[in-house]
Amino acid sequence: MWSYEKRLQFPVKIKEPNAKLAQIIISQYGGPDGEMGASMRYLSQRYATPFREVAGVLTDIGTEELAHLEMVATIVHQLTRNLSMEEIERSGLDKYYVDHTLGIWPQAAGGVPFNACEFQSKGDIITDLSEDMAAEQKARTTYDNILRLITEPDVCEPIKFLREREIVHYQRFGEALRLTTDKLNEKNFYAFNPGFDKCESRNG
Amino acid sequence: MNGKEQLLFNIGVVDFTLVDLALFLDTHPTDRRALEYYRHYAQIKKQLCKEFSKKYYPLTMEEANCEKAWEWGAAPMPWEGGCE
Amino acid sequence: MQDYQDFSADVKLQEWPLAMAYVKWQHFDKVYDDLEKAYRSGTIFPDLNKPFTGRRCVQ
Repeated sequence: MWSYEKRLQFPVKIKEPNAKLAQIIISQYGGPDGEMGASMRYLSQRYATPFREVAGVLTDIGTEELAHLEMVATIVHQLTRNLSMEEIERSGLDKYYVDHTLGIWPQAAGGVPFNACEFQSKGDIITDLSEDMAAEQKARTTYDNILRLITEPDVCEPIKFLREREIVHYQRFGEALRLTTDKLNEKNFYAFNPGFDKCESRNG
Repeated sequence: MNGKEQLLFNIGVVDFTLVDLALFLDTHPTDRRALEYYRHYAQIKKQLCKEFSKKYYPLTMEEANCEKAWEWGAAPMPWEGGCE
Repeated sequence: MQDYQDFSADVKLQEWPLAMAYVKWQHFDKVYDDLEKAYRSGTIFPDLNKPFTGRRCVQ
């Protein structure tokens, strides 16, 4: 179960509102490669993993992603909360505002709502870890794309932090995959699903 | 940064160190150096959080005072910083 | 407890089975002395610190 610490993992103190940036950065909240997808993916996958150490990695990284979700929401909130009606209209944020005012709602920059189709929980440990490694790279690329659009240090600093965490998580999922393959027969890692099949062959 | 912000920042630094160490330990559970670092910084975090909740407000529900009023609810939310 | 880090295996790359992805094991080598710098970088491990420096540079 979860407990809550009333602080952000990394400080977010944005002084200047910026509606255009907020509309981009919201993709890391509810977009296809964002933090909501990451946390739901890892926290969902952990139940079917046959190896406790891998379930531990999924739990701990999934939990950290919830803290990142909070940071991204905070960035979007601080970029929008003092906007005038003129700024809302001029920036194109009016399309979001009409349905959500300045509430935070999980969607991608293009408007696609967050949905479970944006991640998989396949119930096969090699597949799930491969998905997770890809997910971390997709998130990193999204942060790279965001960084090209920002010059403000207030916004850059937390984004750079979040981006680096994706790289560290990639290393950890890679190591979890090494732990997994070390426990399987190297002649054929794919002979059976260690989380599902009770025996290796139909005749066993 | 004022005193409160500096202490909160220091808690952030130490807790982050613990998080990065914890993820390393998840895949290297017997690494002695990592375990030693973890134990060292866990102690420091505990002390810093105790100091913060005594001086300012509770960071966790467990640290919250519940004698005269529900102190936990009165504490500021983490996203409030920024353009004030 | 099984010792997971068989680092000696990491040198025998040629012998590893096909059709699998392998990430090199990280050793607990260097940790930033300046923890505030580590915090701002996003990791305590200098070996994992890979900043982004790309720019489009098309007119």
